[in-house]
Amino acid sequence: MESVHLMGVALDLTAPASSDEAALVEELKAGSEEAFAYLLGVYQNPVFNLIFHMIGDQTEAADVLQNVFLKILRGIRQFNGKSSLKTWIYRIAVHEASNHRRSCGRRLFHEPFSVDDESLQARVPGVMLGRDRETPYRVYEQAERQAEVKRALESLARPYRTVVVLREIEDLSYEEIAQVLGIAEGTVKSRLRRGREILKRKLAAQMGS
Amino acid sequence: MMIFESCAEIRSYFSDYVDGACDTRTVHSIRYHLSNCMPCNEELERYRSLQTELHELARRQVSSSLALRLRVQVSQELHRNLAQRVMVRLENMFRPVLLPSVAGFLVALVCMGLVLGEGTPRSNNIPDVPLQIVTPPRIQELAPMNFDMGGRPLVLVTYVNARGEVTSYSILSGPHSPKLMEHLDRMMYFSLFYPATSFGVPTSGRLVLSFRRITVRG
Repeated sequence: MESVHLMGVALDLTAPASSDEAALVEELKAGSEEAFAYLLGVYQNPVFNLIFHMIGDQTEAADVLQNVFLKILRGIRQFNGKSSLKTWIYRIAVHEASNHRRSCGRRLFHEPFSVDDESLQARVPGVMLGRDRETPYRVYEQAERQAEVKRALESLARPYRTVVVLREIEDLSYEEIAQVLGIAEGTVKSRLRRGREILKRKLAAQMGS
Repeated sequence: MMIFESCAEIRSYFSDYVDGACDTRTVHSIRYHLSNCMPCNEELERYRSLQTELHELARRQVSSSLALRLRVQVSQELHRNLAQRVMVRLENMFRPVLLPSVAGFLVALVCMGLVLGEGTPRSNNIPDVPLQIVTPPRIQELAPMNFDMGGRPLVLVTYVNARGEVTSYSILSGPHSPKLMEHLDRMMYFSLFYPATSFGVPTSGRLVLSFRRITVRG
C-alpha cells in the first residue's frame, strides 16, 4: 500500500482496490498511523456526507464522524474481511447516525437558506455565478430546488431515507446496501421503491403548492 | 415477454428499471409498454429526474479543521499508553526547533574552529639551525662499493673539508692491498659528505668509517 501523508487536509483519495485492501487492513490492524491517515483521506468525506444526509445537521454530523472513526480504530482488529472495508465502515456510520438520531429524538432539521449564504457554491456544485454565465435568478432557482429535495429527503422515514441516501447519493449497489444494513436485497429493493415513490409525491406536492 | 395488465403494475418496476436491476424479459416488456404509453413515459421521466436531483445534492466535505481534529484523535488513540504519549509530545515539541538548533550548532562549531585556528602558531618553512656547538661530518651519499675485503672488516678515518669533499683517508685496521686502495680511492671520490660545523659554520673534520661485507642470500 502506498503510504499517504496527510496534514489535516480533507483530501478525497480513491478507495483501495480489493487486492490492496487486504494489505491496508493488515497495516490498520498493526496500528500504522500512515494507514489510518490514508483511510481518513479516502473515507472521511463520503462518510461525512452520508452521516450529514442521515442526520441533517453539519455540527452533529462532525461529532458522529469522529465517533465513527474512533469505532473503526478500536474495532479494526475485529474486522474479519467477510464484507469489504467500505461496507464495514458504512455499516458503522449508519449505525452511529441511527443511534445519534435515536438519542436526540426524531426531529426535522430545516436549514435556513439564503442566496447570500457564503456556502452557496458548496451547496450548488457546477452552478457558479459568472463562471457558468448563470443568472442570479437561475442560481437561486436551482438552490431552491435542491433545498426542496433536501427537505423532502429529510422528511422521509429513516428506513427509506437510509436506503435512498446509500443508493442515490453514495452510489452503493443493492448488494452493498444489503450488507451495510444487514437486510435482504429484496428488502433493499422494496424500501428503495417505496422511498422513491414517497419522495416523488412530496416533490410533486411542493411543486404544486 | 411479460404482459402487464395495467400501468400501475408496470410502474412498480420503474425503481428497479432505472437502476438497471430488472431481468432482460422485464426490460423488454417495459420497453414495449413504454413505446405505446405516454403517461408511463412521463412517470419514468419523473423517476429519472428525481435520481438526477438526488445525485446532484451538494456533497458535504470535511472542513480542514475537522480533518485535523480527526488526525489528532487518531494519533492520540494510537498512542494511548503514557510512554508513547510522552514520546509523541516530545517529538512534537522538538521537531520545530530541531533543524534550526542543529544548523545553529554546526555554525557555532565552524566559527569556533575558525577562531581557534587563528590562535594556533603557524608552522614556518625555515630549516632548523643546529644548536650544537661542534658537529662531525656526516655521510650524504656513499658510492657503491664492489671490492673484496677477504672477509675481514675494514676501518678507515676520512678527512672531510669545509665543502664536504674527502681530502685524504687512512686505514686504521683491515686488509691492505694496492688493488683495495684503488677501489677505495674511487669510492671516496664519488661519495658525498656533509661537512663538520663549528657554531653553525662549515669546517673540516674527521669521520671514521667501518666496512664489513654482508652477503645476503636469495
